[in-house]
Amino acid sequence: MNKKQYAGRQSLMSRILNPKFIMVYATIGLFLLIYLFGALAYGDKGFTTLRTFMNLFVDNAYYGISAVGMTMVLITGGIDLSVGAVASLTGMFIAYGTSVLGLHPLICIAFSLVVGVGLGLLMGWVIHYLNVPPFITTLTGMFLARGVCSLISRESIEIKHEMIDALAGWKVNFMQLKDGQWVKVKPTAYFNFNVLLFIVVLLVGMYLLQRTRFGRNIYAIGGNEQSAKLMGLPVGRTKVLVYGFNGLCSVLAGVAYALYVKSGWNLSLQGAELDVITCAVIGGTLLSGGVGYMIGTLFGVLLKSIIPALITFNGNLLSWWGKIATGLLLLLFIMIQKLVVSTSGKKKAEAKG
Amino acid sequence: MKKKFDFSVLARSKVTWAVVAEALILLVCLFVRPDFFSISYQPTTEMLYGNLIDIVNRSSEITIIAMGMTLVIALGGTDLSVGALVAVSGAIALKFLRWDVTIYNTPGDYTVYPFILVLVVPLAVCTLMGLFNGFLIAKADIQPIIATLILMVCGRGIAQILTNGKQFTTQYSPFRVIGQGSFLFLPMPIIITAIVVAAVALFVRKTAFGTFVEAVGINRKAARLSGINAQLIIFIVYALTGFLSGISGMIYSSRIMSNDSNNAGLNFEMDAILAVVIGGTSMTGGKFSLLGTVLGSIIIRTIVNLVYYFGIASEATMAFKAVIIAVVIVLQSEPVRNYFAKHSKARQNLVSGGARG
Repeated sequence: MNKKQYAGRQSLMSRILNPKFIMVYATIGLFLLIYLFGALAYGDKGFTTLRTFMNLFVDNAYYGISAVGMTMVLITGGIDLSVGAVASLTGMFIAYGTSVLGLHPLICIAFSLVVGVGLGLLMGWVIHYLNVPPFITTLTGMFLARGVCSLISRESIEIKHEMIDALAGWKVNFMQLKDGQWVKVKPTAYFNFNVLLFIVVLLVGMYLLQRTRFGRNIYAIGGNEQSAKLMGLPVGRTKVLVYGFNGLCSVLAGVAYALYVKSGWNLSLQGAELDVITCAVIGGTLLSGGVGYMIGTLFGVLLKSIIPALITFNGNLLSWWGKIATGLLLLLFIMIQKLVVSTSGKKKAEAKG
Repeated sequence: MKKKFDFSVLARSKVTWAVVAEALILLVCLFVRPDFFSISYQPTTEMLYGNLIDIVNRSSEITIIAMGMTLVIALGGTDLSVGALVAVSGAIALKFLRWDVTIYNTPGDYTVYPFILVLVVPLAVCTLMGLFNGFLIAKADIQPIIATLILMVCGRGIAQILTNGKQFTTQYSPFRVIGQGSFLFLPMPIIITAIVVAAVALFVRKTAFGTFVEAVGINRKAARLSGINAQLIIFIVYALTGFLSGISGMIYSSRIMSNDSNNAGLNFEMDAILAVVIGGTSMTGGKFSLLGTVLGSIIIRTIVNLVYYFGIASEATMAFKAVIIAVVIVLQSEPVRNYFAKHSKARQNLVSGGARG
């Protein structure tokens, strides 16, 4: 093996070419490939405009926000099925609180945060200290959150509040210099509060995962929980906090979704948890834990959201092909992961002799 | 030496808690509404009616799937695709009954293709899809959750495209019998479920298959080294689960005499997994209990029916489900069971049982 890698500081090149990023590169590569296909096939219909690209973010910001928390949970080797229901519950709290009870949206959001993070922490506690499988624990959490949604109301409630309207309507248009004057890019492209929230949550997630002791612990637990425990790492505390953080992300995703559709409905975001997991997996996160990067998740979200965009641009296909395409994409990525893992495993075996 | 009844075995057994839970729920029913248990005979349809019958009847779709799911979980896996397969099965059945709506504009007592095809093709397709899951898991060595997630995502799309996004309805009477007919005064789904449960139980307990499944679930490598064809076992179990999902889908679509690719089998995978876990089979694989699973499925349905009975919104049943399931799961969890076992009388068991604890 290259001696340089063991030196305290790696050169930028060897850091970029590190084989552990290969899945992330595969995701980025495939995204670029599909984008190129879209540009060639539907370029004349405006696929290449900045607006189409920004809409990938605008329309999928809530998935992205949730995927950040999910990536962390998956890296610890766990899973969280409650995210869609918790996000839906948040929307319900905001809608019911503002429209029926006449509360200020900030109070509703604060209440949602308490409930969402509390539920996350509780699930983490049950998973670690009562040794109940994450799948079952979070499934129960999902049923609970979804049931409470339905107890609040079974009808869609419109959100009417000037603050929500202001937040949902706030957007920054991209400008370009034309004849010495700043004018809006045509067709208008913009980013809004949701995109901003997504980027902030993504950066926070990236920082936590790569630059803090907490992040190191997450990777260590995912690699081998037993070893992490023997090393004296705070396994229990870290796992509980990860589920708490995921609860926070779910609530923020719920806020973003509420701003996006401006209503609360007890059956909204059904099955979103599996979409979010799909985003993380095609972004290169391993469900067995220990491997995953936020940048991969970002491109996973983009990759998943570009498929419906392509189908819209085609215009003739049933939207159901989108689901099938997503499934095939998942299959493709799992196969690539399998190949990568098995070849790197072979290399390791060869190196050992 | 006289053997005393060992209570710690009972306290450690997970099925016990399932029985206790069901008994408690039924006790609540009895307490609040004594007529919850009444069963009456309806001469016109030659069927028995009543809440208890209805609970077993309505739980049959989940029970049938959960039979396969028990084996899947005993192998240490999960199958998320069953709900989507339910939709696929119904879509194909209705497609063969109606094929092209332009020829026969009104739904009536007819079938376009022979009824045998209506029965066989959906089951065959679902079995093939189960084999696909098995292939990914056994041959390609992919984690079960993610391997079956593919068909879960794709399946509903396939069902929609098969029927071109349309919802067909039918009036074909032999098809109606599957979900709405009766036999021996009992609704047909109960009979089908009984046959399926008996067949699966005989298959796994009267042959070595059940032992093989447990061996693979506990340690796949050790099982292989001791001469068990682990890949074949995995193939059979996932194909069986696919097949059973197909049967469940037929019952579901026969109840509504239509295909509903959006809602057919929605959350069935979750309910089936819960039924298995409540029934005392551990998600980590190994030993399984088919009886426990049947009980688990009935518990879930009892909660739903109880909530309906009180006139609470149907979607809200999930919250009640969650609370009761949480209680059962916490009671079943290792620390709690060990605590109870420690405080029961048989202390000598601790010495021998400590190794596994």
